[in-house]
Amino acid sequence: MSPVGTATATPPPGLVPAVRAVDLVKAFGPLRAVDGVAFDLAPGRIFGLLGPNGSGKTTLIRLLTGMAHATAGRAEVLGVAMPSRANLGRIGYMTQSDGIYPALTVAENVRFFAAVYGVDTDAATRDVLALVDLSDRMTSVAGTLSGGQRRRLSLACALVHRPPILFLDEPTVGIDPLLRVQFWGHFRSLAADGTTLIVSSHVMDEADRCDELLFMRAGRVIARGTGADLRRDAGTDDLEQAFLWFAGETEAAR
Amino acid sequence: MNPRRLRALFLRVVQEIRRDRPSLALLFIAPVLMTGLLTFILREGDTPAVSAAIVNEAGPPGSVIAGPLRSALEAADVTVTEPEESSARKAVEDGSTSVAIILPADLSTGGAITVLTNGLDPTGEASQLGVVQQALVNGVTSAVGGRLPAIDHETVYGVPSNDPIAPFAPAIVGFFAYFFVYILTGVSFLRERTGGTLERLMATPVTRFEVVAGYTLGFGLFATIQVAILLTWALGTLHVPAIGPLPGFSIGLGVAVGGSPLLAFLVVLLLAVGAVSLGIFLSTFARTELQIVQFIPVVLVPQFLLSGVLFPVGSLPSILQPLVAIMPLNYAVNGLRQVFIRGADLGTPALQLDLVVLAVVAVLFAVVASFTIRRDVA
Repeated sequence: MSPVGTATATPPPGLVPAVRAVDLVKAFGPLRAVDGVAFDLAPGRIFGLLGPNGSGKTTLIRLLTGMAHATAGRAEVLGVAMPSRANLGRIGYMTQSDGIYPALTVAENVRFFAAVYGVDTDAATRDVLALVDLSDRMTSVAGTLSGGQRRRLSLACALVHRPPILFLDEPTVGIDPLLRVQFWGHFRSLAADGTTLIVSSHVMDEADRCDELLFMRAGRVIARGTGADLRRDAGTDDLEQAFLWFAGETEAAR
Repeated sequence: MNPRRLRALFLRVVQEIRRDRPSLALLFIAPVLMTGLLTFILREGDTPAVSAAIVNEAGPPGSVIAGPLRSALEAADVTVTEPEESSARKAVEDGSTSVAIILPADLSTGGAITVLTNGLDPTGEASQLGVVQQALVNGVTSAVGGRLPAIDHETVYGVPSNDPIAPFAPAIVGFFAYFFVYILTGVSFLRERTGGTLERLMATPVTRFEVVAGYTLGFGLFATIQVAILLTWALGTLHVPAIGPLPGFSIGLGVAVGGSPLLAFLVVLLLAVGAVSLGIFLSTFARTELQIVQFIPVVLVPQFLLSGVLFPVGSLPSILQPLVAIMPLNYAVNGLRQVFIRGADLGTPALQLDLVVLAVVAVLFAVVASFTIRRDVA
């Protein structure tokens, strides 16, 4: 099944895509959490992975980051087949849970991940904490931070080695609208510096901040394109309606 | 193994525990308090006063025994009365008399002497029974005009000790080190799994062997400090002289040790390193901290019962002996006894075996533990 919609950012031939999925399948028993996903993602853009809970977004990200082995198909990041430990040094991964050490201070958390990536300098720690606006909380114990501050620390830990590819699994869940705007500001500036971002979300109103969207449902990518493209194809002004329209189209095509 | 990443993992574990004051207290203070309490109970425990009632149903042949028995019992500080059988039974029942010795009517034709206790405290009564038995032997011997030869106790290893903690000290030191290191590693690694940090860690170039090695080094450091404190406490005695109105006292249990404390240290350290891997391994099967605690009856209590901490291994039913042979704690307890009591050194084959087994278990569990850390989780 080929995704509906216009593939706007498939890289031109000869250029290595930032991320490539080739007929990826991940089955848990009879459940196919990822069911034949194929795409090329061009570098330096923000891709939104959109779909309801249980549509396979997290599993897809885990396959692409090499955290899970595919049942069938292939995942490549920067031209290297995953899982590849060597390649993990070029990937940043912000998990759905904060994944920080509550007993350590903000700076210690960042420094730990920096050391694991082999970049533990004071400058790297300072810079990334400035980026996520936590410079004044360096010596605070992470467990005492507010939910939004923990999310920002989590982002800093994923960013500290300045990876060219960044996977963000529901980065804005549970944070207030103001912080959400800040986060998207960070993402945009990272993309401007050439970082490729793959952001999963089930909040449709975040979609327009992405360069390109991939609608996911039941383990498949059912549509791909810019927000404007997808609305136009679905004949609606509302992205949620567009998603439902594509979901209906897929059902009908089966 | 990348030394830089290993160092980062090690330092992180150390930073985490250092901030966790309750855990530090659990590691360093709890074993000292518990061994101190146990030693106090064993050393200072009062032998409760024994009172005996002699009931003579046998008439004159009974008096031949009753008289010398009475003096033998009184010689052993036992209060003796000679009531009727019914009031003797009542006295044992209400606890005012601890033992009733009933000389039966058919004593001269081979009838057995009945010793009656109330049955509520088997251990205490066993010792009372011992006192009665000893008095009976002494009484009967003196009744026939004989005299028992004295017994001189010698031991092959060490000197015969009246210190009741001496046989327990090696086992208790080993068990506490094992117990507390297991609990802390299990809980802290479980947090790593459930808190999402392990998932995140696995998305970095870190290998699972580095994770296990980092944990082993980190907790190993604290285990080292714990064992050093515990051994110093158990083996040392520091006399604090009286100052003004304050009476002098001494700190430390002062348990006699025949061999080198450093060897004892090595044994416990190897055991503790094994406990780190055990904690990591078992955290795979737990979803909550409570479940780590629930593994105690499954994993630690059998080791406690089967490793000679309370019951000598040789006295255990033969059907359990194969289980005894696979209990890591058993080798540590045995090794510590070799060092404490026998004064074993590195040339002692029995101690060499214990050290080798403990080292193999530590390495084996570390490998098994690292395989429970899979990139392909959930």
